[in-house]
Amino acid sequence: MSLLQINDLTIHYVTRGGTVKAVNGIDLSIEAGRTLGLVGETGAGKTTSALGILGLIPKPPGKIISGQILFEGADLLKASQGKMRMIRGNDISMIYQDPMTALNPILRVGDQISEVIIQHSGCSKAEAREKSEGMLETVGIRAERAADYPHQFSGGMKQRAVIAMALACNPKLLIADEPTTALDVTIQAQVLEMMRELKDELGSSMLLITHDLGIVAETCDDVAIMYAGEIVEIGALERIFHNPRHPYTLGLFGSIPSLDKDVRRLNPIPGLMPDPADLPSGCKFHARCAHACDDCGSGSTELCETERGHFVRCRRVAGGEI
Amino acid sequence: MKRNKSDAPSALADVTRKRGQWSDVLSRLFRNKIGLLGVIIVLLLVVLTVFAPLFTRYPYDAQSFPDRFKLPDASHIMGTDNFGRDLWTRLLYGGRISLLIAILASVISNFIGVFIGSVSGYFGSKTDTVIMRALDILMAIPPLLLAIAISSSLGSGPVNTALAISLSGIPYSARIIRSTVMSIKDSEFVEAARATGSRHLRVIFRHILPNTIAPLIVGATLGIGANIMAISGLSFIGLGVHPPIPEWGSILADGRAYIRDFWPIIVFPSIFIMLTILGFNLFGDALRDALDPRLKD
Amino acid sequence: MGELLRAEHLKKYFKTPSGVLHAVDDISFSIDSGDTLGVVGESGCGKSTLGRVILKLIEPTDGRIIFEGRDITRVTDKENIELRRKMQIIFQDPYSSLNPRMSVMDLIADPLKTFRLQSSADRRKKVFELMDMVGLSRRFASSYPHELDGGRRQRIGVARALALEPTFIVCDEPVSALDVSIQAQILNLLQDLQEQQGLTYIFVTHDLSVVKHISTDILVMYTGIMVEKCEAKELFAKPMHPYTKGLLSAIPVPNIDRVREKVALRGELTSPVEPKPECRFVARCPFATDICRREPPTYSEVLAGHFVSCHNVREINGL
Repeated sequence: MSLLQINDLTIHYVTRGGTVKAVNGIDLSIEAGRTLGLVGETGAGKTTSALGILGLIPKPPGKIISGQILFEGADLLKASQGKMRMIRGNDISMIYQDPMTALNPILRVGDQISEVIIQHSGCSKAEAREKSEGMLETVGIRAERAADYPHQFSGGMKQRAVIAMALACNPKLLIADEPTTALDVTIQAQVLEMMRELKDELGSSMLLITHDLGIVAETCDDVAIMYAGEIVEIGALERIFHNPRHPYTLGLFGSIPSLDKDVRRLNPIPGLMPDPADLPSGCKFHARCAHACDDCGSGSTELCETERGHFVRCRRVAGGEI
Repeated sequence: MKRNKSDAPSALADVTRKRGQWSDVLSRLFRNKIGLLGVIIVLLLVVLTVFAPLFTRYPYDAQSFPDRFKLPDASHIMGTDNFGRDLWTRLLYGGRISLLIAILASVISNFIGVFIGSVSGYFGSKTDTVIMRALDILMAIPPLLLAIAISSSLGSGPVNTALAISLSGIPYSARIIRSTVMSIKDSEFVEAARATGSRHLRVIFRHILPNTIAPLIVGATLGIGANIMAISGLSFIGLGVHPPIPEWGSILADGRAYIRDFWPIIVFPSIFIMLTILGFNLFGDALRDALDPRLKD
Repeated sequence: MGELLRAEHLKKYFKTPSGVLHAVDDISFSIDSGDTLGVVGESGCGKSTLGRVILKLIEPTDGRIIFEGRDITRVTDKENIELRRKMQIIFQDPYSSLNPRMSVMDLIADPLKTFRLQSSADRRKKVFELMDMVGLSRRFASSYPHELDGGRRQRIGVARALALEPTFIVCDEPVSALDVSIQAQILNLLQDLQEQQGLTYIFVTHDLSVVKHISTDILVMYTGIMVEKCEAKELFAKPMHPYTKGLLSAIPVPNIDRVREKVALRGELTSPVEPKPECRFVARCPFATDICRREPPTYSEVLAGHFVSCHNVREINGL
């Protein structure tokens, strides 16, 4: 059994201006101890999916249309508010993108971590303090700095502290939403390295949300590529990186300037991400796709297994035409 | 890739339709129902007061001793005051003075406040320190005292009263504008304007001030209400408007003595003042939204 | 082609409550007409300040800037404004760099109005030409920035910079706020424009793969100083300064088969407030020796056209 199994999850935001179809029937699963990279551009529905797992979709305007989120076999969508509160921070925790705003500026860093521990384990203040200092040491911050306020920390240290807080209760699943986007590249390397080590040490699973295929290459075991609220390609890391099939995935790889090869011109995907309030019919990508044929503009396109454990949502790939 | 695919079939028809900015603002203003209500209230008050003689058959100063303290009836729709004068008439005529002075004072204080505030906020450092300390001194003097001093030296009359009241309002509007300007002047679009060669005045007037409209309008509409009360204060001590010329604040002040026994003399002027403030606030909020292209539709 | 711009020992210090911040400290370089100089570094290294000092949007504390053979370091306000017609900037954030209350037409026409160029009808024509040039459909002329996506907004920023037909443009992280597929579109646009109009760029960024793609030469900055400068290809083939090595090995590369030399950097960048007389990189450097703590290294030409500022550069690189 997978640790987390999402079936046909659909989340819409119903506003006066129209229905924003943020997540449209995604299926994915994360096995214990593995890291899944969820890749996509702004507006692909990555963050909405993550908030959906944590039961943090603001309702209204958010609305879960359909689907199941099975965590250790139990459907989180049917869990009560109280149960979800117990799960959040304890079994599933989240690391946010911006470490600058994820910490409360007027509380000591150590106290903020202790608070999480006390909430979920009900241990004494002294125990929690000891544990929180231990957590800080684990993420590479000296224990005496637990008494500091967030503004006394540098950007990288803040993100380490946020990670310490997320890991304080040994969660089974860690959701990291662009955890290093706000950091400089050398600090990013340090934080990613630390996250890899900690994850192995604690045996947690991780859902890593990012737009950076480089980070995925270095941290993930499995990859899911998201476009316009759908998963367009999913599979093991090697399969996706060695044999990307979906035209959008290929486009993403073509857009990144390479450090190894000399490419005079990049090959960007033409056009823009469709407005999630006004999605095209048929394959969501067909208007930007170089391989689109007339058929692609209508009907629905299903995920199709092109090789073992490698699924692609493209009719022409499924038909063996590309 | 020179063009986005979705751009390619460009609808050239749109280009020829040059969107008039002001017609845009007006259409947005009138689509806002609550804002429209504000506009109607304000217009109604202006029409009623400006054309007061058309809406009443009494002169505002006609005293009639037998008719004192009459409750509203067919001949006096809002009753009469302690001198037997028709309240409706006095409120209409009084509105002329109150509205004129209150709006004038608000315009003057905000006009000067915008100038001082934007210079202070934009140039910062020493200029800012000098201007702000001067305003602090002005703020330290109680507004009424300041207005008394000015009124007594300039003499009474609507324009002088407006000047007297507006002076004490300057520090408030200047401070609001200054803080807004300070937050906007560091935006990249201001730097961009400087990078394309704009001089200071152009940067202030074209790029910064249009972005301070929201707090400015809110401050100005709230100020109108406060101004009406300030006029009554001045009139009460004989520096604003002299009796028997009516004015909302002084009607209210005179009526205070009868508050327990005769309600119309307090209730009706209050309703007028309240409607004025309400009308200007609703109108101001709607105007603020209509002027902001980001809030379109 | 000939030299367009030269900076000599450029310095910019800021007074802060905790001391003097050496934001840009003794930077020298020259750019030939039609080339692109990439300036890379982490946040707080002074790269954006450098770009603004060169444009004279910030007054330099010391040093000289020579543009088209003329010393522009100390010029009158009037001359400074005239310079705007030749030197322009494209900003990082396509959201905050556009006045939210101006339409696309007004935004692009603004520089033309500032210099009172052309009649209003000609201006409209010119704006449409610029919109065509940057691949922005004419139907957006009366739109406001908030109605457009990041890529289109950045195209407005590019069109505004091109309006005065400059020869030199500082691109300050022009693609870092954009999604990868849009980023590639804008990079291609900048390259096309450079070829068509013979533009010269300074491309300021933290993204090494972008800078490699677009630059002729690269300057690596660290806490206000230049640590390494050479041709773009050379820098990636033979990085010599320990910081450059660390920076290169820190980039996550979307290639799972790549094996790279790993130089892990400890710690974080500290801001150069009242720097001590030592190498500014010493605290993070895996190769630091005694001399690094005693005196700052000099900036010297280690190989032809390859400048490095490091005491131990020869030992580290086996030269």
